[in-house]
Amino acid sequence: MGYAEALEKAKKVKFVIFDIHGILTDNTLFYTQDGVKSEAFSLHDRIGLKALMDSGLGVSFLTSKVARDVEQMAKIYGVPADMLWGSSAKMARLDEFERQSGYKDDEICYVGDEMIDLGIMKRVFFSVAPSDGSPEARGIADLVTAAGGGKGVARELAEFILKAQGKWEQFVAQFK
Amino acid sequence: MAFEKDINAAKERAKNIRLFAHDIHGVLTTNTVFCDVEGNRRYAFWHMDGFGDLSFMANDIKPVFLDSTSIDGEGLFRAKELKLDKMYFAVTDKMAKLEELKKELNLTDQQIGYIGCELSDIPVMKKVGFAVAVADAIPEVKEAAHYITNAPGGRGPIREICEFVLRSMGKWEEWVEKVTKMGYK
Repeated sequence: MGYAEALEKAKKVKFVIFDIHGILTDNTLFYTQDGVKSEAFSLHDRIGLKALMDSGLGVSFLTSKVARDVEQMAKIYGVPADMLWGSSAKMARLDEFERQSGYKDDEICYVGDEMIDLGIMKRVFFSVAPSDGSPEARGIADLVTAAGGGKGVARELAEFILKAQGKWEQFVAQFK
Repeated sequence: MAFEKDINAAKERAKNIRLFAHDIHGVLTTNTVFCDVEGNRRYAFWHMDGFGDLSFMANDIKPVFLDSTSIDGEGLFRAKELKLDKMYFAVTDKMAKLEELKKELNLTDQQIGYIGCELSDIPVMKKVGFAVAVADAIPEVKEAAHYITNAPGGRGPIREICEFVLRSMGKWEEWVEKVTKMGYK
């Protein structure tokens, strides 16, 4: 998939679904001596997610289980609580969302990095993988970001989509 | 130091394995302990290594945590999360533990794979059918290994070796296909 084709596809995106591990995090899992798990998220992604939402696009996080770290990060990122989807049946969760919201596969972008994401990446209109995603995910993705997981994937993708849609300048203007 | 490994020979060895044992520190972790000024400790694992172990399990290869150096049972948290049924911590004699496992599961040395990084891993690596070193293992371990992963410890070696093993067995494509179809339940 070439850059020009990815740009064309990005024009039609209205909703972006992010897998969490390996996308918003760098895959590292920290465990304390008491077994409490934590992960490293990028603050660089904060403005990217804000740009998408300010520009009228929807954003959700889809992971097998929404733990408190994800809830906390969603607050920091400004992603509403009802957009945190915890389900290992990712396809079924997307079915449910589409029924409720009216969004269709051909308006949806999905960002994933592993084999478990392949089904959903093939299904939606625009699929994205990070530069350090699995070869399978990168192989079928419409766009592979320069950023690796946890290093600004959402920031980079937001700029790509909004530039394709001609909305980026408007978002940037508020900072000038 | 560069170590040339015969990939085809490694593939032949990988084909036979039914059990894959790994050390914890330096393999599943980056060999780092983050210790804060209050004395709290923290260890860094890698999310996708979990997928590696789950892929092993789904393809009838038993992953085993065989650890001799954990401090707080840190590997235990990870192993429990992955629902492994074979995990051994603070093992002083890895060889003896492996012998025990071999008997219990009725396996030969040829059917055992092992990935390590340190001096203490070498005797086991010399005995098993398929010995693997992580990219940042010490030279002696790399020398003893049949295969060296591109990933260093704590950065995905299990995910990588799992793919190597399943590809060697000719099971990888089928597994990818199967996983791609998951997601409806």
